[in-house]
Amino acid sequence: MGELLAQTALNALYAASYLSLVAVGLVLIFGVMGVINFAHGELFMLGAYGVVVFYADLQLSFFFAIAIGLVFVGLVGLGMERALFRPLRDNPLGGLVASIGFLMVLQALAAMGFGVRMEHVPPVTQQVISFSDKVHLAVPRLYVIIAAVVLLTALWAFLKKTQFGWALRASAQDPEAAALQGISINQTSRIAMFIGAGLAGVAGALTAPMVSVNPHMGHSVIVAAFIVIIVGGVGSLEGAVVAAVAYSLVHTFVTTFYDGVIADIVGLSLMLVVLIVKPTGLFGTADRA
Amino acid sequence: MLLEMKDASVNYGKVSAIRNISMSVPEGSVVTIIGANGAGKSTTLRALSGLASLRSGEISFNGKRIDKLAAHRIVGEGIAHVPEGRRIFPDLTVEENLRTGAFLRKDKKGIEADLESCFDHFPRLKERRRQLAKTMSGGEQQMLAIGRALMAKPKLLLMDEPSMGLAPIIVEEIARIIETINAQGITVILVEQNAELALGLATYAYVLETGNLALEGPADELHDNDHVRAAYLGV
Repeated sequence: MGELLAQTALNALYAASYLSLVAVGLVLIFGVMGVINFAHGELFMLGAYGVVVFYADLQLSFFFAIAIGLVFVGLVGLGMERALFRPLRDNPLGGLVASIGFLMVLQALAAMGFGVRMEHVPPVTQQVISFSDKVHLAVPRLYVIIAAVVLLTALWAFLKKTQFGWALRASAQDPEAAALQGISINQTSRIAMFIGAGLAGVAGALTAPMVSVNPHMGHSVIVAAFIVIIVGGVGSLEGAVVAAVAYSLVHTFVTTFYDGVIADIVGLSLMLVVLIVKPTGLFGTADRA
Repeated sequence: MLLEMKDASVNYGKVSAIRNISMSVPEGSVVTIIGANGAGKSTTLRALSGLASLRSGEISFNGKRIDKLAAHRIVGEGIAHVPEGRRIFPDLTVEENLRTGAFLRKDKKGIEADLESCFDHFPRLKERRRQLAKTMSGGEQQMLAIGRALMAKPKLLLMDEPSMGLAPIIVEEIARIIETINAQGITVILVEQNAELALGLATYAYVLETGNLALEGPADELHDNDHVRAAYLGV
């Protein structure tokens, strides 16, 4: 029993890692631009197809494929900022609707380019770290955990220690007052969109060898990410990470001991309970809600 | 003239906020705009700093047209705006707030020196430099907003209702700060509902009424004007 618990906790840590990457990007984009990016799951999907193309098909190095995924998906994010969100800046609902439309465009493009069947990505390595007879961590999963820790730490340092990081936080808190300091909202939006999209792309790329890659794979990720940012408090990066860990623990344990459908129900119920008890989310403040 | 506004009009949607306002601000002066709530004082400042766009008219600063520039460019021309309600960044620390004011500056040494002189002016900010801005009192937040604007090294400082909601003793301190700022050669445009305070600090004054320029003149003359006394000084 103790070993099963330990194994499940490791699985949850892996799930929390890629979910944090997706959710933090979503929160960053919402914080700076005030728009909910419904196409965020499809950015995750694009990152996974980057690995299909560059690693599985073209046989380039896995980490090179991930780097390409980060840059390419980041650039797609820049394009979304310019073409969708900037023209609709004074219309947050419009931005949300546009992102739903773009989600369908990306899914259709993926289906046209690759077909709707699942893509198989060969394992990066068969190596497994064994803690005991029954407790294992596959090395590709370890990569995801390491990447999440490194990237989220780097993001934290960027936001706290650099001038552009302050600018980003300032314009998330008060875009007009930020403009009065010489901070261009177009520039901070571009940075937020590139980082947010890039993180989703990296998460998709890293998990590609362990999940079924298909045009609709973003769906389950985005649902989990929405639950996480609502529970964490929309607009709070720390909240998103904490809630991603909490959600992944609950979801993974329920999946292991009962089943996946029950786990989805429990996850959504937890969100409802948080909304009833603390409508701003665990780390949210009233003025951001 | 450092700043010249000619026949400026601003609309919010279909509603006209100010109509055909003209004003001239000489370098080194303190000019005030007084008027009742909703008279268009804040809108005039917002037009100057680029937050509101002109429907007609023009604004030039240092001989250069600035009325088509975006707000984040106008700071770079040397106009800093202390907005109504202070608008500090609540979840940044005091020091981070001040440094955002210097966002466009490249002279690292100058920024550090100005940060120190800002702390000399406002010792309370130095004590609280690592504290989140939202944890400070209203008066301290006002000083932070002024300090942040000064960190941009402006030639012209726009101040919107710096006395609003503050205790009389703090209002006096703010008045002294405005005098100090002006003595350092920074031109000030002061918007106030507290006309007594504003006319005491300014050399020249404009009176706005429902979006129109009703009256203008040297501050001491307006202070003795019967209409101003009855409408704004309560005597």
